[in-house]
Amino acid sequence: MSKRRSAALTGAQGVSLAQKLLRERLCHQKLPDQPVGLDSQYKHMLELLRRTAVHGESNSVLIVGPRGSGKTMLLGCVLRELMSLREVQKNVLLVELNGLLQTDDKIALKEITRQLHLENVVGDKVFGSFAENLAFLLEALKKGDKSSSRPVLFVLDEFDLFAHHKNQTLLYNLLDVSQSAQTPVAVVGLTCRLDVLELLEKRVKSRFSHRQIHLFSSLSFSQYVDVVRAQLSLPPDFPDPKFSDEWNHSVTKLCDDKTVEEILRRNFNGSKDFRSLHSLLFLAVSRVSVSHSTLREADLIEACRLISADSKANVLHGLSILELCLIIAMKHLNDTYDGEPFNFQMVHNEFKKFIQRKSHSIHKFEKPVVMKAFEHLLQLELVRPVDSGVCKVQREYQLMRLMLEHGQVMEALQKYPQCPTDVKQWALSAFG
Amino acid sequence: MSRYITRLRMRRAYKWNGRPVSKDRKLKRQYYESMSISVEGKTEDVTVSLGQYILIEGDDDDNPFVAQLLKLYTDDSGKKKTAVVQWFVRMCEVPQNKRKLLGRDPHPQEIFFYQDRSCDNEVDGETILGAVQIEYVPVEDPFPKGKSKGILFVKLLWDTKSFRALNPELMQPPQSSKSPPPSSHGTQTRALPTPDLSVMKRAMSGILTRGSMSTGKMSSSEAESLHSASKLSAAKALSAKRRSRAVSGPHVRKKLDLCSPSKNMTRDDVLGEILDEHTEKTLTSKLNTSPTGRISISIRLTRLNLNEEECVSPLSSHSPDKPRLTAYDKDDATRARTPSRRKDALREPALAALAEEEHEYSPVQTAATPCSKRKSAQLESSRIRKQLNLLGNTVDLQSDGEDGDDDDCFVPAKIDLQSSSDEEEEAKIDSEDELIVKKRRGSGTSRSTEKTRVSARTPRKTPSKKTAPATPRTPRHATPSIPSRSAPAKKPGNVLEEARVSCQKLQETTVLLVDELDLLWTRKQNVMYNLFDWPTRRNARLVVLTIANTMDLPERIMINRVASRLGLTRMSFQPYTFKQLQQIITSRLNRVKAFEEDALQLVSRKVAALSGDARRCLDICRRATEICEHSGSQKNSSGLVGMSHVMEALDEMFSSSYIAAIRCASVQEQLFLRAVIAEFRRLGLEEATFQQVFVQHQALCRVEGLQPVNVSEGLTVCQRLGSCRLLLLEGSRLDLFLRIRLNVSQDDVLFALKAD
Repeated sequence: MSKRRSAALTGAQGVSLAQKLLRERLCHQKLPDQPVGLDSQYKHMLELLRRTAVHGESNSVLIVGPRGSGKTMLLGCVLRELMSLREVQKNVLLVELNGLLQTDDKIALKEITRQLHLENVVGDKVFGSFAENLAFLLEALKKGDKSSSRPVLFVLDEFDLFAHHKNQTLLYNLLDVSQSAQTPVAVVGLTCRLDVLELLEKRVKSRFSHRQIHLFSSLSFSQYVDVVRAQLSLPPDFPDPKFSDEWNHSVTKLCDDKTVEEILRRNFNGSKDFRSLHSLLFLAVSRVSVSHSTLREADLIEACRLISADSKANVLHGLSILELCLIIAMKHLNDTYDGEPFNFQMVHNEFKKFIQRKSHSIHKFEKPVVMKAFEHLLQLELVRPVDSGVCKVQREYQLMRLMLEHGQVMEALQKYPQCPTDVKQWALSAFG
Repeated sequence: MSRYITRLRMRRAYKWNGRPVSKDRKLKRQYYESMSISVEGKTEDVTVSLGQYILIEGDDDDNPFVAQLLKLYTDDSGKKKTAVVQWFVRMCEVPQNKRKLLGRDPHPQEIFFYQDRSCDNEVDGETILGAVQIEYVPVEDPFPKGKSKGILFVKLLWDTKSFRALNPELMQPPQSSKSPPPSSHGTQTRALPTPDLSVMKRAMSGILTRGSMSTGKMSSSEAESLHSASKLSAAKALSAKRRSRAVSGPHVRKKLDLCSPSKNMTRDDVLGEILDEHTEKTLTSKLNTSPTGRISISIRLTRLNLNEEECVSPLSSHSPDKPRLTAYDKDDATRARTPSRRKDALREPALAALAEEEHEYSPVQTAATPCSKRKSAQLESSRIRKQLNLLGNTVDLQSDGEDGDDDDCFVPAKIDLQSSSDEEEEAKIDSEDELIVKKRRGSGTSRSTEKTRVSARTPRKTPSKKTAPATPRTPRHATPSIPSRSAPAKKPGNVLEEARVSCQKLQETTVLLVDELDLLWTRKQNVMYNLFDWPTRRNARLVVLTIANTMDLPERIMINRVASRLGLTRMSFQPYTFKQLQQIITSRLNRVKAFEEDALQLVSRKVAALSGDARRCLDICRRATEICEHSGSQKNSSGLVGMSHVMEALDEMFSSSYIAAIRCASVQEQLFLRAVIAEFRRLGLEEATFQQVFVQHQALCRVEGLQPVNVSEGLTVCQRLGSCRLLLLEGSRLDLFLRIRLNVSQDDVLFALKAD
């Protein structure tokens, strides 16, 4: 027993260590050592940036891929490798912009000035306008030439949003610098829009080099499982070898399990990107504790249940019987009138009919109470008013739509705790 | 990189010595024998007299231009001093590629007699720096030793094509009998016979025409030195003026009538009127600026479908005479200057050089004009050139240009009068009344980088003659100066007006180049109105060249009063044909054998068929070289960029990514797309709500034997497709009633899904 205790003590440390390590991995705090399945893109990107950083060739490139496909990760890995070269590290200036932060060119320009450490050059002179700022920056960029200037890497995250800036001035100028023999500049855009080039004006488009690196994962399921295993396994240099052996063994066993495979396949079918996988694994890993120090299939099942739960069905579970009845009434109305909008009065009538038939099981509610319940549903946005120009309609007659699918209602009823059978039957019956 | 002249300038005062020796009433000129130059801070005055060898201020302070003084005269007012000279050139002024023709190393003090009749030989008297001693050395003799550094030796003659032995008689000024012996320093008192200048001119113009024609043929292939080019171009302008005088018959008058309201006047009358009290003599003298007062034009060759509108002052008309046209065509020659330099600089291992050159699709023109434009475009360009040159009548316009082979010249290159000027201005607007004038300096260095520009923004520092350049934004040598706003922002109209007034004090023409004109559009079009109104003013001395990539810009966006002020000349640039593209690549390759012939053709044909975008073409080539480089380690036999590499590059650039994206999508995403199409078919519409599609999706899931997704998951899938823009979605707050459309054709989707 005492022996076990001491093991548990180191086990507790081991668990917390392992969790820390996995958390870093799964929450994107740490870049992976090598991007998975993106070797050719990685090489291409590295070569491209190296040309700018070392040889001073200007370049522009777009990295296009769906969300979560690893664009930022790829770029991060490339930059990490690039910056490990000493000459590059000394030389290259990196400017990172994000379309969600730099919402117009003026802000973007200020940010560039800041990141290039040109504020002190600017000194106490106040930039009166965007024009002056831009002129200054361009001059700073253009006075350079290939051999003597430090290369500048511009990383534009959410590239498509920059295309919505007025006249695309920033893009025009950046790409223009990259097209001519001035300061070596690499413009790297990250975007998830496949049609991003169509957003660019003709003059901007022509200045873009039309290099696009697409990140479409073509992983097969077995590779996917391998990735899961690799992501969950502890590295060989883990301080507690006994713990890591045990852990890794359990992970291998887990990945061979049928149920787990089912869950993973479901996840894989939903989306191939690693971000959704990470959130699944994160939930599972966070259930690991000292008391059960290895990952078990129950953890994954629970995580999967949490992740794939329908959000509206969850809301339905918290409704009162009256509100649920109203929802059912609306569902019937939807069925009867084929999705046409309804108003409160119609719902109330439907509900009254049901009460008349089954008066013994449900209390009789006053109309104001029903109205209150209806408004609560409105607040939860389970029903929404139809957008119409007329707003002077009395509240009872305002047209509404139910924001729930047929299946969602039924599923919620199945799971609703202590739902009266009459209500269930009413929901299942074809017509109210 | 441009050099901006910021040297210290000594103030010199010029004075005539004695009385005028003769007078030409017709030309209203007074001729003098000698002139004394007093330099501030020096007690002794320098006297230069006819026949003496003089130094003339140039761009290079260490090597001023050398010439022999032939005539000195002034106009009525006595303000403008003009000198007629015989030029000599230094070795450094001879084009680089011609220097080897000498066959030996030049003596450091050696100069050459410059024989090029098309060269302008009139200079502003106030550019004379002082006298210099020149000694004639017979060809066989060695250079004398132990002489002072100040003495220059002349042995040979340079006629822009070759070095020849110099006949010592040529060293004598034309009226040799009366001129003083060379290198004598004494003042000459003998009077020169006054030639009838008008007669002389007429005679000369004939010569000029012939001369320039011949140079035209010759110089299409050769690069001219800047020096000679500037001389040449000034001469061009001058000769054009002369010719126009010579031919000012009814033909011309008719043309003039079309443009200018003043009727029934000869050309000279019109000119006279426009220039008010300026006489014709001043015109002539104005033409001859010192080499430093050069104005350059640069045109940016960006997109292919550019309109170039040009506004010239109303007196410029299309001159009908053919000879002038040809003369001018030749004169565009100088463009070659920079390219040759670039070439030297870039002679590097094949692929690297190629990649570099290709990627720099900067406005720099290469020596061999890359491409021939269509005939129609040529006509247009010659018209523009004519107009530009005609402006020379009122205006001092020095243009450097390369002499293209007339048929095969690249039109924009011809307009690119200033050869290496990568410099350009781009005007952009960001608020209604705010103009940004951007200037661009490229890598092409040139000696004549002093450019006169007008910044619409800050006219305070508009160029003054002979001072280093122009706009307040001009980059200094080191750090860029930050424009400070000392004065409150002005309305463009006022700014232009102010700039105009200050510009008027100048003797120079200003060429205002506006790129991306369409961005200058404002609701009231004030900016454009002012821009085009300006050159129509009297004495404006302004050429406005605008560039836009909209073909019908004037018709589409300009209101009447703006459109009416627009010049008539519009050049449209068609997309390049594959031949032209091929030539462009070849010229960029700079004779490096890096591409297989077929590969080149494939690229150019492909691009020509799609867009005719030269940049795209070069990008593809660049990518292809990279691919070639990477595969180089494999068996690749020739080491050249072959068809396979080009095909790969083309595939990368042109293939649509949609199909690949659909193929790589996850199972649920593919099912969702299928559901969308199924729903579209059911509805017979191209639009469906999420709810409708979701029902289909669930049904498909059951068919495929997958666990049906719930609404949240379905919506996630839908949004993911929407963020890739495979689907077009409304805002997600609509939830179930979110409308969905496909961004790809249904066939493409089905094709991509089927191949799976």
